[in-house]
Amino acid sequence: MRYRTQAVAYPYFVVALLLYGLQMVFGILSITKYLGPDPLMGLLPFDISKEIHTNVLIVWVLTGFMGATYWLVPEESRTELHSVRLAYLQLGLWTIAGVTAVVSYLFHWTEGNKLLEQPQPVKFAIVIVMLMFLYNVGMTIWKARRLTTTEGVLVAGLALAALLYLPALLTFDNYTLSIYYRWWTVHLWVEGVWEMIQGGLLAYLLIRLSGADREVMEKWLYVIVGLTFIAGILGTAHHYFWIGVPSYWLFIGGFFSALEPLAFLGMAIYAYTAMRRSGLAHPNRLALHWTIGSAIFSALGAGILGLAHTWPSVNKWTHGTMITAMHGHMAFFGAYVMIVLAMITYAAPGLFGHDQESTESPAGVWAFWLQMAGMFGMTMAFAAAGIGQTYLERILGLGYLETQHKIQVHFLMVLGTGTLFTLGVALYLYDFFFLAPKRRPAPAAWPPAPEAQG
Amino acid sequence: MTKRQTRIFFLGSTALFSLIFLALTVDTHQRIRTLTHSGEITPAVIAGKHVWHRKNCINCHTLLGEGAYYAPDLTKIAEQRGAPYLRSFLTDPSKFYNETRDRRLMPNLHLTPGEIDEVIAFLSWVGKIDNQGWPPRPILVSGAAIPGSDVGGAAPQAASDDPVAVGQALFRQTPPGCFACHSTAAGVNVVGPSLSGIAATAAARVTAADYTGKATDAAGYIRESILLPNASLAPGANYSANGVSLMPPGFEQSLQPAQLDALVAYLMTLK
Repeated sequence: MRYRTQAVAYPYFVVALLLYGLQMVFGILSITKYLGPDPLMGLLPFDISKEIHTNVLIVWVLTGFMGATYWLVPEESRTELHSVRLAYLQLGLWTIAGVTAVVSYLFHWTEGNKLLEQPQPVKFAIVIVMLMFLYNVGMTIWKARRLTTTEGVLVAGLALAALLYLPALLTFDNYTLSIYYRWWTVHLWVEGVWEMIQGGLLAYLLIRLSGADREVMEKWLYVIVGLTFIAGILGTAHHYFWIGVPSYWLFIGGFFSALEPLAFLGMAIYAYTAMRRSGLAHPNRLALHWTIGSAIFSALGAGILGLAHTWPSVNKWTHGTMITAMHGHMAFFGAYVMIVLAMITYAAPGLFGHDQESTESPAGVWAFWLQMAGMFGMTMAFAAAGIGQTYLERILGLGYLETQHKIQVHFLMVLGTGTLFTLGVALYLYDFFFLAPKRRPAPAAWPPAPEAQG
Repeated sequence: MTKRQTRIFFLGSTALFSLIFLALTVDTHQRIRTLTHSGEITPAVIAGKHVWHRKNCINCHTLLGEGAYYAPDLTKIAEQRGAPYLRSFLTDPSKFYNETRDRRLMPNLHLTPGEIDEVIAFLSWVGKIDNQGWPPRPILVSGAAIPGSDVGGAAPQAASDDPVAVGQALFRQTPPGCFACHSTAAGVNVVGPSLSGIAATAAARVTAADYTGKATDAAGYIRESILLPNASLAPGANYSANGVSLMPPGFEQSLQPAQLDALVAYLMTLK
């Protein structure tokens, strides 16, 4: 930790990881309901458990982004944070808003708009928190008079994310229009500005972990985010296929979605070449794993598996089936969960007061591989369920209920691999909360030898 | 390539594609009025949309293919099942589906009759949206579009003694084995004609000039067609030969009067 105020990241990571754990609880609950009958139907029906599962994900990933930004900006701008108090206040308000949303769902208070279910007052609180955050970061950079490309891309991504949340506050009488603008928030977040955030964090981590030349890395970062927006902005069209908008969106959606893997492929090549130059020399090998893993898993989950069903003549049959769940799980995990975990893993030794020394614990390694294996298995199980569903229900014309009955074995597989995944998450939390704080560098290694300094 | 050039590439392409997107959005706004029949968005449709959101329907069902995958797509449900059935179903879903048998059941949302009518108005409006013909073939809640292909599924037993539920189950039992020749999906005609929309078809046919039977209303027409298939022949060369219907006779003997009533009640919900 080079700057004292970077420590603000710690409580953000704590909140993020606790919510990650909560997300698992509701994920497992939701898949269990697929096996049915559901004894909890009267108390906590599927719509609520699923709503909490997805909302907690969004909240915790954003919490992670904010924590990561508070860690990264002082280092990049070579200054202390503008206001630590404001950062704490912001986290407090953010957590209250998040918890209020979850509790309100339990009591059936919801706006019932997929992924944007937050009750209106919570939505306003989110806007206020975003403004506090951007003000704090903006003031830090402005006072330091130093803005690197890496942090510029990251902060611009966060500012655009706040801006694109505004359409979520609008309501329309025409359902087609409300879908149209809902995707301005949801799609342009996850396949636009969040990717920009991921790119910024990835560039930072690669520069730190591989010692790659900053000029070169930042040059290619522009290319990657450029590709992201070329494909991503008009790629919104793949959500406009069957909702009652003009037919030209079909062609646009098909064409630009086909370009979407390019940016992810770019990120994977970016990570690979950076690492090939330096090898896995950095002592924080776990952070390396999460960083490269993020580049590869997002190329696979968001890039390839997205492409698998965005061509209109394919999507016509797969639209609204488990195929979407297959893509969604791996894409979100690869692109956003893994990059946040990479940042947390990278920052943890600094936050616990022992720079990049002796950071690899067996628990941490298991946490990584169990989540990898679990997510891969879940994706495959969702794929099998989705292919079965598409064939039986959409092509053969079997009823929805009969189809769900026939593909039940795949839900069992999701439950099994999901449990494996949850075990990985539990180990990650255990490592972060209990093992890592106790890990102190061996006396001989302190102060660190010059060649060990990253 | 220098960093300055890649920055121009990023800013330039982002600005260009944002502009294209905004221009298309303006055009979409204008065309959407016709495509979604926005003139038909009545206060009841808007109220129904609020019910849809308030009750969190989208976190189990899909509509226009968007939502969660825990329950069937409802894009065409109003057209498929008609308001009387939906009204009865939404009042108490457990009368039509059995959780042990079907593994899943819709919770009773305790909607008021007014809310039910509103949500049906909303779903009827959604069903008419011009959405490039999606879904390409009907998505059924249960049963099968192709007769006979749902063997091995949930055993067709009625979830309650509601006549419609009894009739629906009976439709798929052998005897009478209706499902072996008739589908309930629009346009899927196999051995017998599709019974999708039979209530409306029956009402139209009973008043047609060339109608030869004795029924006076739609329910009567359906009853007559089951008991006396030759009384009036369904149009189509594959359904009759030399003035004799290909539908097997003898349901008078094999069906109890109550069963016949239930079957008619069910078929009358296929609007």
